[in-house]
Amino acid sequence: MVAIDPNLLYVLLIAISGTLICAAVHFIPVGGAPAAMAQATGIGTGTVELAAGSGLVGLITASYMYAYEPLASMALVMAAGAMGSMVMLASTMFAGSLVYAYGVAVPFASAQVKKDPITGQRQDTYISKGTQGQGIPTICFVSGVVGAGLGGAGGGLIYFSLMQIYTPLIAASAAAVAGVFTMGVFYVNSVIPSYGVGGTIEGVHDPKFRRVIGKDVFTSFAISLLCGIVAVFIAQGMMV
Amino acid sequence: MVLDLTMSMAILALMGALATIAGCLEDLESDVGSQSNPNSQVQLAPQMGFLHRIYNKAISGEPISNGLSAVIAGTVTSVLLNEKYYAVTAIVIGAFVGAIILAIYATTSYAGRVASQTRFKQPLYMDIMRYTTPTIMAHNFIMNFCLVALAYIQYEVLGYPFTIPFLALIWGISAGAIGSSVGDVHYGGEREFQNREFGCGLNTALSGRIVRKAESGLRNSIDNVWFCAKFGGPATGIALGLTVFFSSWPTTIWGYTWTAMGVGVIVVAVLTILNRLLEIQVKNAYGPYKEEKNEKEAKA
Repeated sequence: MVAIDPNLLYVLLIAISGTLICAAVHFIPVGGAPAAMAQATGIGTGTVELAAGSGLVGLITASYMYAYEPLASMALVMAAGAMGSMVMLASTMFAGSLVYAYGVAVPFASAQVKKDPITGQRQDTYISKGTQGQGIPTICFVSGVVGAGLGGAGGGLIYFSLMQIYTPLIAASAAAVAGVFTMGVFYVNSVIPSYGVGGTIEGVHDPKFRRVIGKDVFTSFAISLLCGIVAVFIAQGMMV
Repeated sequence: MVLDLTMSMAILALMGALATIAGCLEDLESDVGSQSNPNSQVQLAPQMGFLHRIYNKAISGEPISNGLSAVIAGTVTSVLLNEKYYAVTAIVIGAFVGAIILAIYATTSYAGRVASQTRFKQPLYMDIMRYTTPTIMAHNFIMNFCLVALAYIQYEVLGYPFTIPFLALIWGISAGAIGSSVGDVHYGGEREFQNREFGCGLNTALSGRIVRKAESGLRNSIDNVWFCAKFGGPATGIALGLTVFFSSWPTTIWGYTWTAMGVGVIVVAVLTILNRLLEIQVKNAYGPYKEEKNEKEAKA
């Protein structure tokens, strides 16, 4: 069996994790500006803001895990990232739901499905006139949590791979370079789905999900591969 | 630095408290300056013939502008700490510099945006600029202080691998993302359309028709932040506080193990169940919109 060059392996891992982040964004129910006025289902902000916000909390937990357990397995670092992201998004969605429930007083309803696939509850009758649904129903919440988990795991994997590349070269500041680079890859892969979903998506049950995920994931893999190659190239400059 | 469990929990509680204040003030700062998604209505209002006295500072997306002021505050703090300043002094000066930079952006943004609406006859009120800008700075100063203090604790006490400016940037972006997702709904969904029946649902046809009269006189951004401070701001604070607390709590108690990861998943599951209970309660309390209409028709 031919041994794989470790750098090539890390480039591939970065490409895979970037793709994971891109796929994750499609799971997160973002309603954009209309959702901020309770005129669309989902969280009232943009895809990039939310995916990056939750992913970066995952990056903090993953980096702390890596710093304190240098022998931590790749899976554990990914799990730490996933846990941080999931907690951030779940807290945000729950607090958002409190505002929809008691601040704006609208029942949660999805505009994309007649019945919630998880709870089986009717959705269409709860949609107020002239809107595209409102609030965060259970299917959106679960989809968002799964998406945050995938995104956080992807962020953890990029950080882990980059630390493997940079630590032998610049031990003292490897975490800083790896952290900033991970953040960059996060933003790149949060922006790509924005074009596909066009600003709003309800989550895994939205017909838009199936329509765009293939193209977006392919694009993301190509771009993340490029990011991985750049990550290895900049390491060459550290060999002084 | 290795701490015993009691001290670790005390530090974690302090971090949670700082995050709660930061989250609350972040949202209120975006309400008093009118930023993020609800600002689309403030922007649209003059085009619909609704001239108003509301500040209009959409510098950029809320997380980014918030991350910007936090990272400037963190950077200045780092520089001052290297010059052997006391931590509190360094953080206060850093937070103040971050707030000044944000105020510069806010002023130019307000003037620029209103200038671009000349054809709709929207005036630029100098009194609004004079007394709202310091209010924005005050909110931003407290947020910067809390987030940089949080970053300082994580870097100096807990030994996180990232530096203070980078941690402040990440928490700034996260606080902005949460404020934009949680508190802004209270401003955009309720306060801007307060003259409509509570819970009626906002028809998209109402876009731009924001409320312009206050309890007394004409409404301005200070009136808006007074209202949002009652619910939207604290809800944002709770979300950021929960995020900071529950993302570190499992590893503080159970160490860096799979058990801690499992506990994190349980926390998420509990939040999911709470959301479902809330959904049931809200649906029972407010009822469906369309069936009500059918019932009325049946009665007639």
